[in-house]
Amino acid sequence: MFHWLEKRPFFFAVGVFVVIAFAGLVEILPNFAQQSQPTVGTKPYSTLELTGRHVYIKNSCNACHSQLIRPFKSETDRYGSYSKSGEYAYDRPFLWGSKRTGPDLMRVGNYRTTDWHENHMMDPIGTVPGSVMPSYPWMFTNLADVDTAYAEQLTIKSVFKVPYSMGDEKILIPMEDGTSETVEIATTLAGANAAALEEAKLIVADMKNQDVKDMVAAGKIPEIVALIAYLNSLK
Amino acid sequence: MNKIYLAAIVTTLAMLGFTYVAMDIKGGLNDDIVNQLAILGAVVLVIATVFVVTKYVRQMQTDKATGDLTEENWDGIGEYMNEMPFGWSVIFLLTIIWGLWYWTAGYPVAAYSQIGEWNEEVAAKNASIAQRAANLTPNEKLHLGKAVFNVQCAPCHGTNGKGQENYQTGDLRAENLNKRALSKKYVEKVIREGSNQLGYAGGMPPMMLQDDADIDAVATYIEGGMKGEQPAQYAVCGSCHGMNGEGMDFVAPSLTAYNVDLVKTLLTSGTKKGEIGTMPREAKILTPLQIELVAAFVANGPATELEE
Repeated sequence: MFHWLEKRPFFFAVGVFVVIAFAGLVEILPNFAQQSQPTVGTKPYSTLELTGRHVYIKNSCNACHSQLIRPFKSETDRYGSYSKSGEYAYDRPFLWGSKRTGPDLMRVGNYRTTDWHENHMMDPIGTVPGSVMPSYPWMFTNLADVDTAYAEQLTIKSVFKVPYSMGDEKILIPMEDGTSETVEIATTLAGANAAALEEAKLIVADMKNQDVKDMVAAGKIPEIVALIAYLNSLK
Repeated sequence: MNKIYLAAIVTTLAMLGFTYVAMDIKGGLNDDIVNQLAILGAVVLVIATVFVVTKYVRQMQTDKATGDLTEENWDGIGEYMNEMPFGWSVIFLLTIIWGLWYWTAGYPVAAYSQIGEWNEEVAAKNASIAQRAANLTPNEKLHLGKAVFNVQCAPCHGTNGKGQENYQTGDLRAENLNKRALSKKYVEKVIREGSNQLGYAGGMPPMMLQDDADIDAVATYIEGGMKGEQPAQYAVCGSCHGMNGEGMDFVAPSLTAYNVDLVKTLLTSGTKKGEIGTMPREAKILTPLQIELVAAFVANGPATELEE
């Protein structure tokens, strides 16, 4: 049956290619389906939020906190609707985590506030009696690294076509209510730092720690502000 | 007797003996059915192994190469045209039949879906909750509302609704829900700038009162708990908020109490920007029934002792 192919190396090679390419298609094609696209309402992170995401990774928050709500009633009752793949479109890398020593944080922005996080990061047990979470006082003094976050934004915009608006270029991102929004990034590093500082001012307006407020007023962004911006964006 | 058979018997006896000794050392020779099955399995394995090995060793010794070759021939080396073993053919055909079923029905129609199971579970639970909710006494509603409150509201408002204190300053972090105490400063701000935070349709327009003295009088009156003589200018507020400040359902919130209508409206559509950040949109997490229960609980005063 295969003698004809075995005697003709060219057609044999074509046959092999077709068989392997089919397997490739089966794996690749679904990624272009609507379900695999960013979920409507999912926005890329702003500069300060992305800075906070790096604080989150740096302090290994993902070692104890997952960001993946499974479709079980017990989980959706507690954390909100179950996670969809498209919601992770702008997470590089995703922070699903694998073990929940603490609660899931996928939608923590829906049910915690700036002030709660501020108190909790400084004094977890005072905020949640019986908590095993350690305190993170250094976040209130360490400065956040906005430069790296901005560099990452430029990179993922050009390499992965993440829909950041920049300068005159406006990229609309569809929202759940039918409107569309843009996420702007600055055209220069100084501009990015200024934009992050503006975001930080909105966050510290709700904070109580005078040292942090003073730092932001002096144009510096402590890690805690960036982290809270990130946590508030998780919805 | 052939040497091979002799070797087979010796090996069998040695292996069985070894099994027996090993079992004995580990205390496996008892009445436990699992152990007995394990021993039986070991014996069968030993005998089958020796039988199969002996058979093929014999075959290698005595077999002669005979039979038809396939038409391919590689430098004088050929391949026998052996028939496919019957068992293989049966398994092969069964696999094809199973494959056809799986691709046409098994996967697309009868496949397990976690989301589907979640949908069913939630629908069933909601139905049973709705059934139970229809027959709740007011006291049971308060208890259920308290359960929701403790999970979703207490992290900021405290388990007794009195608000949580700041770890540094001792200031209240979130509103005390036991009494609606509007500060003069806040009332003045709302009158001047308007407000649409609680989610009432339209919200309150700015500058309902124009005169600074009027604003001051009304704000003082409201901060004082609406006691004493009512300023004449309050009539403007009273048209929506009620002459006693009791509010009007679906139109304007009460100025004196966290009543059911205020809490429900806020949780469903409002985005309250408080001292400590924007209040979460609980409607994303709570069901309408839960919102109703927690509203009843808050209106009752979260610090109030509930009857058992």
